Amino acid sequence: MRSDNAEIRDELQGSISKIMDKDKILEMKGIVKEYGEFKALRGVDFSVERGEIVTIIGPSGSGKSTLLRCINGLTVPTSGTIDLHGRTSMVFQHFNLFPHMTCLENITYAPIKVLKVPKVDAEANAKELLDMVGLSDKASAYPAQISGGQKQRVAIARSLAMKPDLMLFDEPTSALDPEIIGSVLNVMKGLASEHMTMVVVTHEMSFARDVSDRTVFMADGEKLEEGTPAQIFENPKSERLQTFLASF
Amino acid sequence: MILEPLIENWQLLLEGTWMVIKLFTVTLLFALPLGLPIALGANSRIFPLRFICQTYVWIFRGTPLLMQMFFFYFFIPINIGVAPTLFTTIAFTFALNYAAYFAEIYRGGINSIDRGQFEAAHSLGLSKWQTTRDIVLPQTMKAILPSIFNEVITLVKDTALAQTLGMMELMKVTYGIVNRTSVTTIFLYTAIIYLGLNLLITLVASKLEGHFKRYDAKEEF
Repeated sequence: MRSDNAEIRDELQGSISKIMDKDKILEMKGIVKEYGEFKALRGVDFSVERGEIVTIIGPSGSGKSTLLRCINGLTVPTSGTIDLHGRTSMVFQHFNLFPHMTCLENITYAPIKVLKVPKVDAEANAKELLDMVGLSDKASAYPAQISGGQKQRVAIARSLAMKPDLMLFDEPTSALDPEIIGSVLNVMKGLASEHMTMVVVTHEMSFARDVSDRTVFMADGEKLEEGTPAQIFENPKSERLQTFLASF
Repeated sequence: MILEPLIENWQLLLEGTWMVIKLFTVTLLFALPLGLPIALGANSRIFPLRFICQTYVWIFRGTPLLMQMFFFYFFIPINIGVAPTLFTTIAFTFALNYAAYFAEIYRGGINSIDRGQFEAAHSLGLSKWQTTRDIVLPQTMKAILPSIFNEVITLVKDTALAQTLGMMELMKVTYGIVNRTSVTTIFLYTAIIYLGLNLLITLVASKLEGHFKRYDAKEEF
């Protein structure tokens, strides 16, 4: 009898944690980040559900990139808890492709070395990803030989090759010329339509409005407002957000 | 005839040159790899490790190579009780000395790599060693090659210091010939030999630079 009970209990706990896992892929509580006297984050709660697309907007210096970097450990918070289920992968403002590797090698390196994927499979997958971002002809090009928009799309492919549960985008279009931003946003929209879980720090308001399930507005290291794009963009409550949105 | 001293002494000069090449090769063989752990150590966050490596560099760059040679020449037999050959002692000293210089060149190169490269490596889940070996060092190579080859060329000429402990390298051989024959044109031939060796090294350097520049191609238009 006892063992039966224990079994049932284990099973129950298992399914509870499964449900929990399914809902919350990331839960951050009370995140504080101090650089000496300066407080970049003043106790931010932030969570992401599986399949959700969250955009973080706000003026520069508001702490949105710092928050994003706390998720994958690039920045270690001064205090607060981070509960992350699954693998993250980050796309950077300045792409950070490895200049001494071809586009294909940029994409295959980490899967081969970290996930131990056989080289043949990694290359096949990389070619599919390059095709997806519209750069199948650039497989053997070095990063120096392609444009900024192309670099960022390769960087997205590189992140995707790690089969992340959560994709982090740190101002992915801020370093790009206006006329090529669209090509990168289109790739991101494609990912969104496939329900890739994404957190995007961005200055592209139309992208935030059209693509996200939820938008977070940050200022001075705090989360000031949070809600559906309709709530944030049509009915901004705080004066800070109204002023911020008016500047676009 | 101007070629006469060369014809009479070419065997001696060749032997001296061979010693130069031998000392040069053995030094590089040990100093080039040894510099890397010292560079990584000097950059480390672990204080004792950083302290040891920085002290190593300080000592070996801060005292004359000549003095270090004398130190090991007397220190090893007296304090350890083994008597290595003259060549071993000199090559050992040269390797330790040059490793300190190479370490500083490596360290400068590693520190010149953009932070974003480390961040990308981290976010892809690479280990520290994978990041160092496959991301940082290959990119460093291009930047540090000129400095490395500066040292390599200096090394060719520094081998002349080995004569002070009695090694029959090119300069000592040259002095010997001049003392014996009073023919000073032999200096000219010796100079030509040094220049020839360094020309070879320069050619290797430009070949290697080309190799590491391959990914630095210009934009395609």
